[in-house]
Amino acid sequence: MQRAFWAGGFIGIIAPVLGVYLMLRRQALMADTLSHVSLAGVALGSMLHWNPMIIGFVFAVLGGLLIEQLRRSYRTYSEVPVAIIMTSGLALAIVLMSLQSNMNKSFSSYLFGSIVAVSSVQLWSIAAVAIIGVLYFIVWRRPLYHLTFDEETAQISGVRVRALTFSFSVVTGMTVAVAMPIVGVLLVSSLMVLPAALALRISSGFLSAVLIAVGFGWLGIFGGLTSSYYLNAPPGGTIALLLLVFLVVGIGFQKIKARMTKRKSHMRQELLQQHM
Amino acid sequence: MLLSSMRNVVYGYSDVPVVEQLSLDMFQGEFLGITGPNGAAKTTVLKLMLGLLKPWSGTVTLNDSALQGGKLEIGYVPQTVASFNSGFPSKVIELVRSGCYARLGLFRKWNAEQEAIVEQSLKQVGMWDYRRRKIGELSGGQKQRVCIARALAQRPNVLILDEPTTGMDQQSRRGFYQLMRHYVSSHGMTVVMVTHGLDEASEFLDRVIQLERKESEVWQCLTTSSCSVRFGQEALLASSHPS
Repeated sequence: MQRAFWAGGFIGIIAPVLGVYLMLRRQALMADTLSHVSLAGVALGSMLHWNPMIIGFVFAVLGGLLIEQLRRSYRTYSEVPVAIIMTSGLALAIVLMSLQSNMNKSFSSYLFGSIVAVSSVQLWSIAAVAIIGVLYFIVWRRPLYHLTFDEETAQISGVRVRALTFSFSVVTGMTVAVAMPIVGVLLVSSLMVLPAALALRISSGFLSAVLIAVGFGWLGIFGGLTSSYYLNAPPGGTIALLLLVFLVVGIGFQKIKARMTKRKSHMRQELLQQHM
Repeated sequence: MLLSSMRNVVYGYSDVPVVEQLSLDMFQGEFLGITGPNGAAKTTVLKLMLGLLKPWSGTVTLNDSALQGGKLEIGYVPQTVASFNSGFPSKVIELVRSGCYARLGLFRKWNAEQEAIVEQSLKQVGMWDYRRRKIGELSGGQKQRVCIARALAQRPNVLILDEPTTGMDQQSRRGFYQLMRHYVSSHGMTVVMVTHGLDEASEFLDRVIQLERKESEVWQCLTTSSCSVRFGQEALLASSHPS
């Protein structure tokens, strides 16, 4: 259980940060897509008796690069490459899985997540990817901001857009691959998208959006892990549901606040009219 | 001094050419206007000049030695600025600060000099009072002004503006043209502006390039002399095809 908290803590730093950038680049479904591609890698690794985790990792990174390459061909429809790679990855995973008669237990852990059974190798991989990811976002924060706001202007300002977008895809692929053992293929994007979705609604600036996303990510992961232990429920689903609750409450709170501000200004206007 | 020249440039989308045999020059320290009807490939010409698009044939050459310090710093305000992602979680000041990032590189610390440049740029476009507002809360014209401030904060020696006054009121437009004229005359900046509002801008411009669209049946034809009559100054003609 201690390992689970460490693993969750590492993923809770990098996944929400990535989520903010993915959402702003209109690639919210990229994590979902790469998790399906990674599953195909896991299936292939399992079939060939190679390390499924490493093959899944390689597939996720290659999938990220392929999406970026396709995005250049479909500039106007940035969701098309995601749809193409998602369906291809899922189709390949289904075929490869069906070719194996002994569908073992590890597949269900990849599908639904089993953070409580994180091995020390997995924990070290997660830690390494989290450190690489954090360093990447700190060192390249300026060009990444440019790129996220407007790719064209970034290119003219001297940002090496192609290299940066490809490296971003590699970091995304790596993060998805190591997050799979925690929440599973089916919910991997929840760790990225849900905290980011809430942060983008309530933040007042870019840095605050990133920090709020990480805060809610951690809260969701640690809260979800603890709840799943007491409720005897799967950790992946519990974490995702808790993050969803945060998002719904956050949106509701924001709406109430907006309504109260509106009412206050209305009352102030009425008072002013009475005094005139 | 010649800063950039395009010679016999051909470019198109899919297999349809939209720019054919285009030759034009850009000089250092001039305020250049590019105008023409919709579909006259004005934005395409800008992108070709910037190297964002590679011509099918012909050459685009840039003479860096014409610039002070010999290093080209291009500021660019695209046409789509007013319609950018309104959910982008940035304050006005954060966005304008990003104009200084290219100069700072990856590691150089933010300092008082950069902050002063940001303040000056925002004040010049009349958006200093809005610096703490989120950019998504601004109107189209205000967003446009913020993006111009961001381009100015970059301290460019060449500023490329694609219909920069879209969404601005008349007073703001006039103030903007005066500001650009000031940068050209006092700082030696080269400003290239695509505009439909030539009637208002012409008195501030040094030169106008009129792009004409080739219709299927009718060629709209302007000569250098007719341009001079129409715009009251020297004009250079270039031809292009519709997209």
